[in-house]
Amino acid sequence: MIGIDHLSPRSVGGVTIAQCVALIAPLAVVATADPERFALNLVAALVAALVWEGIFATLRRRVLSFHGVTTAFIVAVVLPPEIAIWQIVFAVSLGVILGELVFGGRGFGFVQPAAVALSLLLISFPELQLRQSTTALAVATVPGAVLLLLMGLISWRVLVGAIIASAVLLALRGAEMEPVTVATAMAFALVFLVCDPISAAATPIGRWIYGALAGGLVIVFSPPGAPTAEAMVFAALMSGVFAPLIDHVVILIHARREMRRHA
Amino acid sequence: MTKKLTYLTGPLIDQNPITLQILGICSALAVTTSLATALVMSAALTAVLCLSSATISLIRHHIPNVIRLIVQIVIIASMVVVIDEILKAYAFGISRQLSVFVGLIVTNCLVMGRAEAFAMRNPVGPSVLDALGNGLGYSLILVLIGTIRELFGTGAILGVTVFVPVSEEGWFEPLGLMQLAPSAFFIIGALIWAIRSRWSQQVETPKLSLVKIGAKR
Repeated sequence: MIGIDHLSPRSVGGVTIAQCVALIAPLAVVATADPERFALNLVAALVAALVWEGIFATLRRRVLSFHGVTTAFIVAVVLPPEIAIWQIVFAVSLGVILGELVFGGRGFGFVQPAAVALSLLLISFPELQLRQSTTALAVATVPGAVLLLLMGLISWRVLVGAIIASAVLLALRGAEMEPVTVATAMAFALVFLVCDPISAAATPIGRWIYGALAGGLVIVFSPPGAPTAEAMVFAALMSGVFAPLIDHVVILIHARREMRRHA
Repeated sequence: MTKKLTYLTGPLIDQNPITLQILGICSALAVTTSLATALVMSAALTAVLCLSSATISLIRHHIPNVIRLIVQIVIIASMVVVIDEILKAYAFGISRQLSVFVGLIVTNCLVMGRAEAFAMRNPVGPSVLDALGNGLGYSLILVLIGTIRELFGTGAILGVTVFVPVSEEGWFEPLGLMQLAPSAFFIIGALIWAIRSRWSQQVETPKLSLVKIGAKR
């Protein structure tokens, strides 16, 4: 049933495939630490995501979709390897259902499903620690980020806005931080959670504000020192919730100004 | 006879006070962290609802229309005080856990709603049946949410361990989320969703709809 049209780069399916390609390098880096355990976790996450997609597609009599794959990939990269399988299934199920499928599938929601999955997991199990970013993971994120940037799937405005806001807040806090350490800690979650094309703001000015909000929240949520993966997840969720409001206000102000100009 | 029975069975799902009329949500969120509190709260609310509906229905011809709300609140409040005192006398521990929420039954939209919408206009028999049906509909949802939240939040039902938690060398890691208020929102939301997918006549018509591109206006 999947026609060529469904797989063109600008379609939802095309976006999902591009994101999956971008996620291959980070997946490979994380897998080298403990390949068997990682493969098990990845399969659990994939099965959970795709089973729910299948159930909903059947109930709604729609074509089977596969967008949950990116959610499963992101969750598998960020989750610690020693986590129990049922906890992965729990997190991915909640993320895919509450973050995406209740709204009607990929493109209809307003939050990043992986951010929903991870934050519900963190709230449920407060003692859980996410996998903190390493230099190798940050480096592996770069080619994917470049690919997504070239395809126009992530916005440089969001990236730059987030970087500026976190740099300013870190400077205000008076923390002596190596820029490389901060960039390493933030790279993966910034590209795949904050810059997600669906949950991010969509107007040019809105993207600056959205990026700044996300970058600022990361520093506010982090304990002193380098930003943590947990802070990135919650910042992505919070700024995703506010993105529609930011866009709405930007469009409203723009419309007011146009009206005044033509009055 | 069947018509009388619909007073009782209607509010269970078709006219459920929580999932269709979205009444009494506040207490449904607050007292459902464990099944025991949910059960006691359900019993207290059902008792208050039945007693106050019966009383209001009995004296409905003698209540002056302009002060009817005040009269209703006085009657409901007296019933609540009675129930609260009974709980304090016979189930002190649970009444401590329920804290203000038994007292707040006075302001529960469900009780006021049934008094104003039904008991004021109907004879005693149907009023009591309607009150009992609404009380049971409320209880049904509360018990469901209470069971889910206690089972997944602590691994036990009514204090009896079902899933052995990790702290006692089992496998179950209690979901802290389930003991927080947002989880009750999620569960009520999911319940409403499930009920409206099954009984689709409950779905409300949207106030706004998307304009179809290319369609004739």
